[in-house]
Amino acid sequence: MSVDLSMNLCGVRFDTPVLSASGTFGYGLEASAVVDPAVLGAVVTKGISSQPRRGNPPPRICETAAGMLNSIGLENPGVERFAVEKMPPLREAGATVVANFFGDDEEDYVACATALDEIDGVAALELNISCPNVAHGGMRYGTDPALAGRLVRLCRAVTTKPLWAKLTPNVTDIVSVARACVEAGADALSLINTLSGIGIDVRTRRPRLGNVFGGLSGPAIKPVALRMVHQVYTADLGAPLVGIGGITTGEDALEFIIAGASLVQVGTATFSEPTAMVRITAELRHWCHELGVERVADLVGTLEI
Amino acid sequence: MSSTNVAFVPALVSSNEDLGADCRLVRLAVPEELDASAVQPGQFVMVRGPWARHPVLPRAFSVLDTAPDQLELLVKVVGRGTRLIAGLGRGAPVTVLGPLGRPFPPPTPGVRDLLAGGGSGIPPLVLHALRAPAGTAVEVLYGGRSAADLVLAERITAAGLSLHRCTEDGSAGLKGRVTELLEARLDDPGAHRVLACGPTPMLKAVVALCRSRGVACWLSLETEMACGIGICRGCSVAHPAGGWRCTCTDGPVFEAGEVVL
Repeated sequence: MSVDLSMNLCGVRFDTPVLSASGTFGYGLEASAVVDPAVLGAVVTKGISSQPRRGNPPPRICETAAGMLNSIGLENPGVERFAVEKMPPLREAGATVVANFFGDDEEDYVACATALDEIDGVAALELNISCPNVAHGGMRYGTDPALAGRLVRLCRAVTTKPLWAKLTPNVTDIVSVARACVEAGADALSLINTLSGIGIDVRTRRPRLGNVFGGLSGPAIKPVALRMVHQVYTADLGAPLVGIGGITTGEDALEFIIAGASLVQVGTATFSEPTAMVRITAELRHWCHELGVERVADLVGTLEI
Repeated sequence: MSSTNVAFVPALVSSNEDLGADCRLVRLAVPEELDASAVQPGQFVMVRGPWARHPVLPRAFSVLDTAPDQLELLVKVVGRGTRLIAGLGRGAPVTVLGPLGRPFPPPTPGVRDLLAGGGSGIPPLVLHALRAPAGTAVEVLYGGRSAADLVLAERITAAGLSLHRCTEDGSAGLKGRVTELLEARLDDPGAHRVLACGPTPMLKAVVALCRSRGVACWLSLETEMACGIGICRGCSVAHPAGGWRCTCTDGPVFEAGEVVL
């Protein structure tokens, strides 16, 4: 039995449902010696802004129980250099590219979306309204349904490419933000970004991160992410979902798919294993065999309660 | 970025020896894909033990020495990850990524390399000294709080290397800090270069001393690190002209003027 892992999302075909999570695989080229970016469902780029950004002071990461905190702070070379330096080799490699982007304010978001819309080879845009690590990194948009909807609408107006909104879990009601985004024109929803957290060094009594606050990722957050995917899926908003949060194995990926995700993104696992996405894809295929499923798409949202 | 093989390879712990002071000498039998002979002094490897999700990240270790198909690491227990690695017995499976990062510049004839190591920062300096070609001069300056911290002192002298010790409590060598040893060595006539690895306060003092003497200084830095290959941007250190350098791919060895400590 051959297994079809492909997924279609808003008119874009993904050969596999396993994508890199923004900020965990650079621009898809750094590890190309061992992971051909073309074999991934897509490369979701590190967050891009209209202007270059410096990022946060170190320390920028610390490990936690079954996870890690990061406060990188959206360091990136800006959209112009992304277009000139990062996209040509990605196009040449035949990678499917989803451009994750953010801004300081509405105008800045729109400027970045406008610039990305013109870049050949960008298959979709992922609107980051969920970074917990910078003052204007989007989380204030992602925690307020009205602001989130407004921002989605503004970006929607300047791009014909599929627009995904990446949601923060740091909210009381994920469904209300999800609904606002879909009603404003988001084609798909990515969830979840990191959970806001801090770590403390008891010897120095100082925060473990230079930015004090960071985003928690890794296996520790998987149950929270699954719960939110499930909640948004069952709200039946009419937009496909991209599941993210601690996916380390093919089984993890399948849990998200069963909960309602059409695609998944792998993040922290790549840090400890650059080839993790390739392994997870193989494991997912193996699971489909074992379950006697010919098309992984048939498993989306098949949770039985 | 250097073109590095960024795939973890399976390896086995071939021995694990207690050195005291929470330090273990761990030898890994590594496969041919990880060309142990290609490791240059100052380079590091990422090591993961046989556990899947906690800790999630590998740990970075400077390579202390190599033999054909073998890496030798000094593992100092500082937290859960290093404790687990330090507890691995002979035959335990691990995975290893590397060698990674920019090495120390090789010794130069006519210039004496003074290698200033503090505590568990000593391994890359030992490898530099061991690999120094005939006709070049290297001296190891090794500092710790007490004699028990100088866990590699015997090994360094057994290898026939020139060793100067210092301890804060005076239990071995000069009573004082490694900068005091260094200052004395810099008073010797001739050209010097300093390579240093150790705690940040020590590195700051070493850099200040080298600046005041106009001596070239290279540092091997240690930071929290997630990926080791330049993807996460988690191990950034500040560059004096603004912006950041990644400890993993731009370093871990930096010329002192390239980083703000």
